[in-house]
Amino acid sequence: MDRIAMENYGTSMVRPDDFDSFWDDVLNTVDRMPLNASVARSPLRSTPDVDVFDVHFDSIDGVRIAGWYCLPTTRTGTLPSILQVPGYIGEPQLPKQQARGGYAVFSVAPRGKLRSNGQFNPGYPGLLTHNIVDRNTYSYRGFYIDAVRAFDFLASREEVDSERIGVTGSSQGGGLTFVVAALRDPRAGAAGAPYLCGFMDAIQLTHTYPYQEIRDYLRLYPEREPSVRETLAYFDGIHFGPRIGCPIIVNVGLRDNICPPETGYAAFRTIASNDKRMYAYDGHAHDAGSVEHSKVISAFFEKHLKNHP
Amino acid sequence: MPDQFRPTTAKPDDFEAYWNRTMEVLDATPIAPEEETMPIRSTEFSTTYGVRFTSIGPYRLFGYLSIPRGQGPFPALVYFTRLQSVVEPLPQGDAIEKQRRFLVFALAARGQRNADKPYAASFPGLFVDGIEDPEAYVMRGIVADCCRAVDYVLTRPEADRGRIVGIGQNEMPLLSAALRDGLTHLVASPSFFYGTMDRAAGTESYPLEEVNEYLRQFPDRRDKVARTVSFFDPLFFAPRITVPSLLWGSENMLGAMVDAMTGTTEVRASEHSRYKDGVYQEEWIARHFGLKDVILPAHWR
Repeated sequence: MDRIAMENYGTSMVRPDDFDSFWDDVLNTVDRMPLNASVARSPLRSTPDVDVFDVHFDSIDGVRIAGWYCLPTTRTGTLPSILQVPGYIGEPQLPKQQARGGYAVFSVAPRGKLRSNGQFNPGYPGLLTHNIVDRNTYSYRGFYIDAVRAFDFLASREEVDSERIGVTGSSQGGGLTFVVAALRDPRAGAAGAPYLCGFMDAIQLTHTYPYQEIRDYLRLYPEREPSVRETLAYFDGIHFGPRIGCPIIVNVGLRDNICPPETGYAAFRTIASNDKRMYAYDGHAHDAGSVEHSKVISAFFEKHLKNHP
Repeated sequence: MPDQFRPTTAKPDDFEAYWNRTMEVLDATPIAPEEETMPIRSTEFSTTYGVRFTSIGPYRLFGYLSIPRGQGPFPALVYFTRLQSVVEPLPQGDAIEKQRRFLVFALAARGQRNADKPYAASFPGLFVDGIEDPEAYVMRGIVADCCRAVDYVLTRPEADRGRIVGIGQNEMPLLSAALRDGLTHLVASPSFFYGTMDRAAGTESYPLEEVNEYLRQFPDRRDKVARTVSFFDPLFFAPRITVPSLLWGSENMLGAMVDAMTGTTEVRASEHSRYKDGVYQEEWIARHFGLKDVILPAHWR
């Protein structure tokens, strides 16, 4: 597919009429739940210049969610902060380096990931298709809300300036960045190689895991394709775009064999924010030019979270 | 050009005895495989099985085995442990169509998902579990698990004995090739056991940061930790590695080890592009397996 066709690739996903009310109802439910956050400093993980905290909080369905919270040991006033949302198969990182840069940084492990899998553990592969025929119990309903609650955790912290919270991640973290930016109101977002966008298009465009999980499922249960499509429409990153109003940058690799760049472009086009920019890296796959692009993200957050031009 | 890196690791006097003993224990442990068909992970061109088998401990491991339909034997891809909990039937990003050509085995070593009972590893955490004692260090078991994966593949009549490549984003293929017969080629990215103590001091990246964290907590144990990880430095396994090898890294970083390897070894620097590196690796394997083409994902063609 040539570059222009890629940039203009459409989607077969249809945004449900009740998409917004579905998520508003979920948020109404979850917003009544206290976080009940526990925050315990980890002497083992901390360094002389970064305090690392082991955090747990309550999320929807009563699931307890874990995360790593990093703060510079020397700090005055409230801090700008960054929510880091994880990829599909990796474990959440300990963001010590970003904390050293003057941010309060929270790296969350949504349900099913290690340390958050005591009550919910569909496995990998498995997470992507768990209850995929029912939008009210589909795995990503809770998973998305866990990321939203992680944002709420940061906003609740007295050392954090709740008006200066950014969100970032790549791959699944890119898709979650869209979700958090749509369901909460961060100051800025940076999404890389976004996963969870154009699900049913992606399984045609690429035959690799993790999207392969859906192909595996439909090979075994082809008659369930309409139900699967209907469920996924409520969880598609493309459909969160119209709710995103914050400044946002997106990067894709034009040779991405895991999250097809076509679907990244499709999601980008729907973003409502006037302050959005796409960075496309030719000759790159799922890394999406991360070595070069990490500098772009740093400058972007410096500008929006620290008010540096 | 910067000076060549050479680990300051001291080879333990009992290095050979330690590994001979470990392999003897492994040899004495029945592999006892059980295969169960996994219809959901099978395709029109391959059948996938969940495999349970035993390593030292004894400890029951797990692996995904995919066998092409049709007449074998088939060239084999053996994917070794990464330091993360998740193991997929085929690594993320590989074209599923590779299962049409290759027998694929993906190992879940002790502590990883599906092999996490009774030992559920934490990440971070696994890399320093028992690190003060070579006999108790969890990585001894994991190296044995990788060797057992090779043993298992060799039990399969569908595997082409002349074409079995071990692939891993760390030192596991190197250690497995040194300790066990069976691999005919290897692809590795030396990352955490090659000069562990030297490299940990200069990084905050995990898993080496785990060593830094541990030593901040227990500074008096530095000598013990250094001794334990010295049993795992691929520098000391290098003379035993005779198979053609592709190593990801730089000549300056890996030169000391490569000089000690006895097989044909190519060192390739990453271009920081999974596309460029990925295509190169697939072509390297195809070339060494005598295949006329490579099976690439759609966006790499």
